[in-house]
Amino acid sequence: MDDIITRRGFLSLAAAGGTLSGWLGRLAAQAADESQAKSCILLWMSGGPSHLDTFDLKPEASDKIRGEFRPINTSVPGIQISEHFPKFARLMQHAALLRSMSTVESDHQLASYHVHTGYQKRAGGVAFPSLGAIVSRELGERDFPLPSFVCIGAGPRHATRSGFLGPDHQPLDVTHADRGTDFVEPLTGRNEFNRQYELLRRFDLPFQEMYRAESARAHWSALDRAVRLMSSEQKGAFDLSQESDADRDRYGRGSFGQGCLMARRLVETGVRFVEVLMGDGVGWDTHRDNFPRTRALSAEADLGMAALIEDLRDRGRLDSTLVIWMGEFGRSPQITSGGGRNHWARAWSSVLAGGGIRGGQVVGRTDQGATEVVERPINVTDFLGTVCTILGIDYTRPNRAPGVERPIPIVDTSKKVAVVSELL
Amino acid sequence: MWQTPTVLPVLTGLLISLVCLAMNAAAEDDAAALAELIDRHIQAPLDAEGLERVPPADDAEFMRRVYLDLHGVVPSAERATRFLDTSDAQKRSQLIDELLASPSFGEHFGDVWRKRLISPLASEQRLQTERFSDWLAGRFNNNDGWDRIVFDLVTATGKIDENPAVTYLIEGRHPLGVTDLTDLSSRYFLGVRLNCAQCHDHPQVAWKRSDYWGMAAFFAQIQTPGRPKKVYQAGVQDDPKMTLASLVEADMIEGYQSVPPTFLGGEALQADAHGSHRAALAHWITSSENPYFARAAVNRMWWHFFARGIVNPVDDMHTGNLPSHPELLELLSRRFAESGFDLKFLCRAILNSRTYQQTSRPGKQADAEARLFARMSIKVLSAEQLYDSLVAILGPPGKVPGIDTRLGARSEFCQFFAGDGDPDPKSYERGIPHLLRLMNSPQFAGQNVAALVSRVVAPGRSTDEAVEKLFVTILTRRPTPTEQQLARDHLRDADASPQTAYRELAWALLMSSEFSLNH
Repeated sequence: MDDIITRRGFLSLAAAGGTLSGWLGRLAAQAADESQAKSCILLWMSGGPSHLDTFDLKPEASDKIRGEFRPINTSVPGIQISEHFPKFARLMQHAALLRSMSTVESDHQLASYHVHTGYQKRAGGVAFPSLGAIVSRELGERDFPLPSFVCIGAGPRHATRSGFLGPDHQPLDVTHADRGTDFVEPLTGRNEFNRQYELLRRFDLPFQEMYRAESARAHWSALDRAVRLMSSEQKGAFDLSQESDADRDRYGRGSFGQGCLMARRLVETGVRFVEVLMGDGVGWDTHRDNFPRTRALSAEADLGMAALIEDLRDRGRLDSTLVIWMGEFGRSPQITSGGGRNHWARAWSSVLAGGGIRGGQVVGRTDQGATEVVERPINVTDFLGTVCTILGIDYTRPNRAPGVERPIPIVDTSKKVAVVSELL
Repeated sequence: MWQTPTVLPVLTGLLISLVCLAMNAAAEDDAAALAELIDRHIQAPLDAEGLERVPPADDAEFMRRVYLDLHGVVPSAERATRFLDTSDAQKRSQLIDELLASPSFGEHFGDVWRKRLISPLASEQRLQTERFSDWLAGRFNNNDGWDRIVFDLVTATGKIDENPAVTYLIEGRHPLGVTDLTDLSSRYFLGVRLNCAQCHDHPQVAWKRSDYWGMAAFFAQIQTPGRPKKVYQAGVQDDPKMTLASLVEADMIEGYQSVPPTFLGGEALQADAHGSHRAALAHWITSSENPYFARAAVNRMWWHFFARGIVNPVDDMHTGNLPSHPELLELLSRRFAESGFDLKFLCRAILNSRTYQQTSRPGKQADAEARLFARMSIKVLSAEQLYDSLVAILGPPGKVPGIDTRLGARSEFCQFFAGDGDPDPKSYERGIPHLLRLMNSPQFAGQNVAALVSRVVAPGRSTDEAVEKLFVTILTRRPTPTEQQLARDHLRDADASPQTAYRELAWALLMSSEFSLNH
């Protein structure tokens, strides 16, 4: 019983009272020393942001295509982006714009799944792991008390699951960053919890010994890891009240900004992959009123991602943390009568920052109307192969899925994968 | 005068019911006889390998298992006590009959088949699957032949409101609808995986790309025109002009080939065949001559109970993947087809076998025993079984911030706790997020546990009686003397009120691996 409550972490947490920035800093330093392993933060723009109104503006195109926003200069001469990303524009030297994303799915669900897993979803087929689960599996450490994959935000999560990599790599979901993670505190006091956990152990022992089931062992492994998280000091990373008001304001007080802040705290404690979902409900799916909505969404995204990149840089973590900004596709160049744009998968943009990449560059190019990719097309496997390479993961390594005879490589290598080597 | 106009129908009715009763009894005899044959077919390889069967499951283990397998929920404490206390030698077969006759049988199998047949591509907004489960439940409870149910699924037309069976054809249709239906229909009705052959000839198996697209062609007449939402307004109709060649965005579909409708195995649809292509396919699938249909259903049902098919993987039956018990599979398939594809008959035969009623406690050679069905497998409760059992024990779930139940508490819970895809029922797929929620969320670990304790700790009931009641309610068994002693110690020593001490005990039983599993 005592091994739960007298865990050093729990006591020091209690002793530290409300001011925990000290231990967070200490853990961060430790984590940085221990390895060169990288982390990744995926800023997921649910709904599919318009590439023409964010990072691939076409000021020369016709009224029906160009839209309302003006391009602005960035910290890198020659690179321009939307006027509604002014803070990020000053950090352009750390980032690369991939303007030649070109994918095949144009349905939200199917596209989200494809971009997250690298495989197209098939009925009754293999359940493929998402990028977060892959990174958790490849870079996560077994004895780390937090899950290696955390998913923050209230959006749909069907594309973020661990699939055949199983429960160890399932993300821990935080639906509201403000509230922290759910169910991490016992419903009773600590002592009562420890007592009933000990009771559980004693009562379940005869069943385990008699039936010797692998599933019973897996149940206990999950129980023990959950209890370990409950008593770990790292769980403080979920508590944003430990940040000053000024710092919280810098990220924007909306759910996305606060999610970015939590992502930074989690990565600093050693979580390998954090996905921050932006856009509960329709999000960037601007079939109507594209311009006012994209303006507001851009402002929120700009605040969160700029504060995140800046903080990572100032804290010496940017080179080991890859930040990805992307959605499931772009939007149609032609503006509709309702002032909206429809789905567009053939040509769109994503952004990478940090992670030791060569920043300050644009990769690929679309045609005059941002309709087609004319230079350096990047499909889903090229993209994920590139991300894995940046993170130091061999994307050709095969996995075994239960019930499937053929090995399944992390990224589908049945067609040639063209890693974006300009970034490396 | 006895021959009044009202008496004759009554007498006729009586006669009919007598005949029915006799037929029922015959069916039961048949099932019992078939159960014995099952045991004989299982025994032979055991003798050959010198492997011993494990002992039979005790009444408690049997009862919990058969409830979970047939109704998807643990029994009430009252029903469990009644069963455990009866000494009737026939009580197991009577319980099996009782459960098969209850509407909960159809509801559970409706739930199970809904999960299989609704494409995972279906988006949450599009899910209108409750009515589909109800439709399936009605068919299962009516004990309609599996051939008729499948025929009606494959040939359904109209709108969801008029005919819920079309849900199978509509959900998740766009844009891969035709390929989806090819995968699902071959996997679940024929027990074969064609999907690998979509893009290339299968290396180990006879399936060729042309086999895949030949089957896909049968569904081409119902392809969705334009936007997916239209199919909801228009419903499912066959358009004889549509073929694989007119598939929307065909160049986006991997491995696409335009071939004429061809039954699996190579026989092409007759050019002069009238009626829809789907009707021709449905006739072919459900014919008693079809070499796959009965075997697939038998193997799937066997897998449902044993978590292991006679052929494994359960839906990958082909000439290069042989059954562990070929004669048993042939026997069951033949008898199932002869019975008119009677699913309850098949269940009754399997459940009355000694093989089903063995304990899951391993003997000397745990793995070999499982492989040859010398003992029962241990299954993990599905998300649905877990939810329904928690509700049966604790009552309705508590409302909890952080759990969004707008789509219904059960469906949210099942989405959260379910593994991805078509998980192996033996494999435990829960991790930190699930256990945190089970242990610490008031949804099922808060007030409702306290309320359970208040019901169990009734005035005039001794400590031992209350503890026993708690065990029977949660685990469907009485505590062992050691457990009684442990409970007494806990209630005496815990530095807490009796109510709290009991609550801790209840919580511990609910979190146990024993409760999480169907053993």
